[in-house]
Amino acid sequence: MASLKDIRDRIKSVKSIQKVTSAMKMVAAAKVRKAQEKMEQARPYTHALEDVIHHILPDIDRSILDLLEVRKIKRKAYVVVSADRGLAGAFNTNITKVAQKEIDEFGKDNVDLFCIGKKARDFFKRRNYNIIESHIEFWNDLDYDSAMMIGRSIVDHFTSGKVDEIHVVYNYFINLAQQEIKSEVLLPLVYDDKEVVSTDRLYEPSKEKLVSSLVPRHLNIQIWKYLLESYASEQAARMLAMENATTNAGDMIKSLTLEFNKARQAAITTEMLEIVSGAEALKE
Amino acid sequence: MEAFSVEIVTPIKILNQESVKYIRCPGIDGSFGIMKKHREGVFALDIGEIKIETNSETEWYSTSGGFVEIGSDKVELLLESVEKSNEIDVKRATEALERAKNRKSNPQEKIDSTRLEASLTRAMNRLRVSKK
Repeated sequence: MASLKDIRDRIKSVKSIQKVTSAMKMVAAAKVRKAQEKMEQARPYTHALEDVIHHILPDIDRSILDLLEVRKIKRKAYVVVSADRGLAGAFNTNITKVAQKEIDEFGKDNVDLFCIGKKARDFFKRRNYNIIESHIEFWNDLDYDSAMMIGRSIVDHFTSGKVDEIHVVYNYFINLAQQEIKSEVLLPLVYDDKEVVSTDRLYEPSKEKLVSSLVPRHLNIQIWKYLLESYASEQAARMLAMENATTNAGDMIKSLTLEFNKARQAAITTEMLEIVSGAEALKE
Repeated sequence: MEAFSVEIVTPIKILNQESVKYIRCPGIDGSFGIMKKHREGVFALDIGEIKIETNSETEWYSTSGGFVEIGSDKVELLLESVEKSNEIDVKRATEALERAKNRKSNPQEKIDSTRLEASLTRAMNRLRVSKK
């Protein structure tokens, strides 16, 4: 049986771990809120952009837009959005697992990879996948520039004909307790024909030029959305994991305290027995 | 002069500006001005500076492009990024400029010249606007 001192030390260390996990939980909660705010803020811009694109598209020849070009798929690229850090439950494991499965189904040798976040990079690097580019350590100061930077290299990879389709695998933020891994086609972009009310508006320089400058921007905002969804999911997953860790630490402290009390009581009982039997022995 | 309201919408923030008299925007085919009762339409914008004149003051913004939507009662600027002249991080812009210049003078094999030109233009534009 562990000595009293051992148990006391363990209680102490579990308590300090509990402090850390509950602080991490709080930090994660604040970060989720921030990410959600950013998602809200991006909405008006996205709506306006999509609105204009949908207005113009019916009037122009889509084949001038190289980001919409559907080719026969010989080679694909995958963008895997993960986190830089762990301690977020199964967040990183799940995303890399899903991505790996999809990639292997198509054939590892015919897939180029863009890794977002350290965890995805490390995972695929170890397994010798064909990584074209990885973007790491930008999550802490996540801004729109990072989305544009990632967007640029992905677009180049597609338009230069190196791959015929680009997928993105990311965590979709449903709510604090739920995230869903989604795999979507990023490129070529697909625009459904929507019923639009035609208006007598002036488009300058020309509809074609306007839309070809707007479509890449639309892609950037989509990448921004994926980054934010994933970031919010990561923090939510971490929040949940840390909440569980805090509760578990609480349980552990409880059972350790019980064990401590038992051990103390046992020690007292033994001592008393010794004293009593000593006194009895003296009487005789 | 009649005034109108302007909304600057970016992916990360929305700025409102009331009682604007005149805006000058960097259009793709050259800059153009907007005043009240401008014809409605959508105009693409390039990297450049935006000048907004209100009743009391004149403000300068640098942008990396987007478009402007002119409606009957208001003007919406939809920009990928926007910075007010006095909020531009001069140090960062200078660094970006140096980086771009360096890359231009020591060309490596895997370099995208259009992208390089664009980052050069962006950095120079930000520096220029920051001096307004």
